[in-house]
Amino acid sequence: MRKNILIYMAIMVLGSLFFNVSVFSQEDITAVEDSAFDVRQIMRPPVPFFHDEHNEKAGVEECNICHHTYEDGKKVEDDSSEGMECSECHTLEDKSDPAPLVRVYHLQCKGCHEERKAGPVMCGECHIK
Amino acid sequence: MHGFYDFVSGPLVWISFILFICGSLYRLITMAVLAKEKDPMVYAYMDFYYAIRSIFHWIIPFGSVNMRRQPAMTIVTFAFHICLICVPLFLFAHVILWKESWNISWWFLSDGAADIMTMIVIGSCIFFLVRRLTRPEVRYLTSYSDFITLAIVAAPFITGFWVYHQWIGYKIMLIFHILSGEIMLVAIPFTRLSHMIFFPFTRGYMGSEFGAVKNARDW
Ligand code: HEC
Ligand code: HEC
Ligand code: HEC
Ligand code: HEC
Repeated sequence: MRKNILIYMAIMVLGSLFFNVSVFSQEDITAVEDSAFDVRQIMRPPVPFFHDEHNEKAGVEECNICHHTYEDGKKVEDDSSEGMECSECHTLEDKSDPAPLVRVYHLQCKGCHEERKAGPVMCGECHIK
Repeated sequence: MHGFYDFVSGPLVWISFILFICGSLYRLITMAVLAKEKDPMVYAYMDFYYAIRSIFHWIIPFGSVNMRRQPAMTIVTFAFHICLICVPLFLFAHVILWKESWNISWWFLSDGAADIMTMIVIGSCIFFLVRRLTRPEVRYLTSYSDFITLAIVAAPFITGFWVYHQWIGYKIMLIFHILSGEIMLVAIPFTRLSHMIFFPFTRGYMGSEFGAVKNARDW
C-alpha cells in the first residue's frame, strides 16, 4: 500500500514537473532570445520583452501580427505560427552573418513602433545595457 | 522624440547624401573648368603612370621621405585616416540600417574592434589639436576654420562612442550623433575636408609634373 502511494506520488511529482515545462509559455517570456544567434557572437544586450504585458499595453490582440504564416507569398489571415521561433522560418544560411535575421526582427518590432509613434526605435532603447 | 528621430534619420539623411554627392561633383567640375581656363598645361602634364606612382607612394605608410622624417605624425595620420573611413562604413549598427532600408549588406567589424578604432580617432583628434596649439610652425598656418573642421570630424566619433556605451542622455546624444555625422558629410565638399575628393588629382598632378617634366620624385 505504502509502495503504491510512493509510486503515485512519484508520478505526480514527475508529472507536474513535466506539466510545468510544457506550459512554460508566452507569459513567462521576459526577453527575446532567438537561439539562432551564435552565442559567441552576440553583440548587444538582450531586448527586454514581457510578452503578454507588451501586447496588452500595445493593444495588439491578433497573435499573427507577429507570429505570421505565409502561403504563396501572401500572409494567411486566419492562421498563426505561435510557438515557433522566428528563425525557424527566417533561417540563417550563414551563421557568421546575422544581418538577415536581425533585419526581420527590427522591421517587425521597430516598424510597428514607428508606425504607431509609440514604443522604442533607437538601438539603446531596446538593447539596454 | 519619435518625431525628432524620424526626421534626422529619414529626410535629413537624404538631404545630406544629396548635398555630399552633388557638392563633390560641383567642386570637381568647377575645379576642372578653372584649371582649363587658368592653367591649361595641367592637362598636358597629367600622366597616368606618374600619377599612380606618386599616389601609391603617398598612401603607403613611410612611403615618402617626409613621412620618414616625422614618424610620430605618420603613424597617427595613417591610423587616424584608416579608422576614420572604416568605422562608419563597417560598423554593424550602420550596416544593419542599410540592410533594413535597402536589403543590402556587407562585411562588418566586431563591436569591440570598432570601439578601439573609435578611440584611435578621438585620440588622434586630440593629438592634432595639441599639435596645432603648441608647435609654432603649425600654429602659424592655423586659422579658426581649422579648429572648426577638427570639431566637425571629432563630433560624430565622440557622440558615437557615447551612445554605444549608453552613457547619460542617451536619446539626445543619439540625435546629436546622427546630426553631427550629417554635418560632416555635407562639410566634405565645402571645407578643407575636400582633400578627400581632391587628393587623387592634386597628388596625381604633382607626381606627373615631377615625374614626366622634371624627371624627379615627389615623395
Ligand atoms: C508583438 C509581437 C508578438 C505578438 C503580437 C505575439 N507574440 Fe508571441 N512571441 C513574440 C516573440 C518575440 C516571442 C519570442 C520568440 C523567441 O524568443 O524566439 C514570442 C513567443 C511566443 C511563444 C513561445 C514561448 C516559448 O517559450 O517558446 C508563444 C507560445 C507565443 N508567443 C504565443 C503567442 C500568442 C498566443 C499570441 C497572441 C495572443 C502572441 N504570442 C502574440 C512576439 C509576439
Ligand atoms: C511559419 C514561418 C514563419 C515564422 C515562424 C515567421 N515568419 Fe516572418 N515571414 C515568413 C514568410 C514566408 C515571409 C514572406 C517571405 C519573405 O519575405 O521572407 C515572412 C516575412 C516577414 C517579414 C517581412 C520581410 C520583408 O522582406 O519585408 C518580416 C519583417 C518578418 N517576416 C518577421 C518575422 C518575425 C519577427 C517573426 C517571429 C516573431 C517571424 N517573421 C516568424 C515566414 C515566417
Ligand atoms: C503591432 C505593433 C507592435 C509590434 C509588432 C511590436 N511592438 Fe513593441 N510596442 C508597441 C506599442 C504600441 C508600444 C507602446 C506601448 C505603450 O507604452 O503605450 C510598444 C512598446 C514596447 C516596449 C516598451 C515597453 C514599455 O514598457 O515601455 C518594448 C521594449 C517593445 N515594445 C519591444 C518590442 C519588441 C522587442 C518587438 C518585436 C518582437 C515589438 N515590441 C513589437 C507596439 C508593437
Ligand atoms: C524595437 C526594438 C529594437 C531596436 C530599436 C533595435 N533592436 Fe536590435 N534586436 C531587437 C530584437 C528583438 C532582436 C532579436 C534578439 C534576439 O533574439 O536575441 C535584435 C537583434 C539584434 C542583434 C543580433 C543579436 C546580437 O546581439 O548580436 C544586433 C547586433 C542588434 N539587434 C543591433 C541593433 C542595433 C545596432 C540597433 C540600432 C540601429 C538595434 N539593434 C535596434 C530589437 C531591437
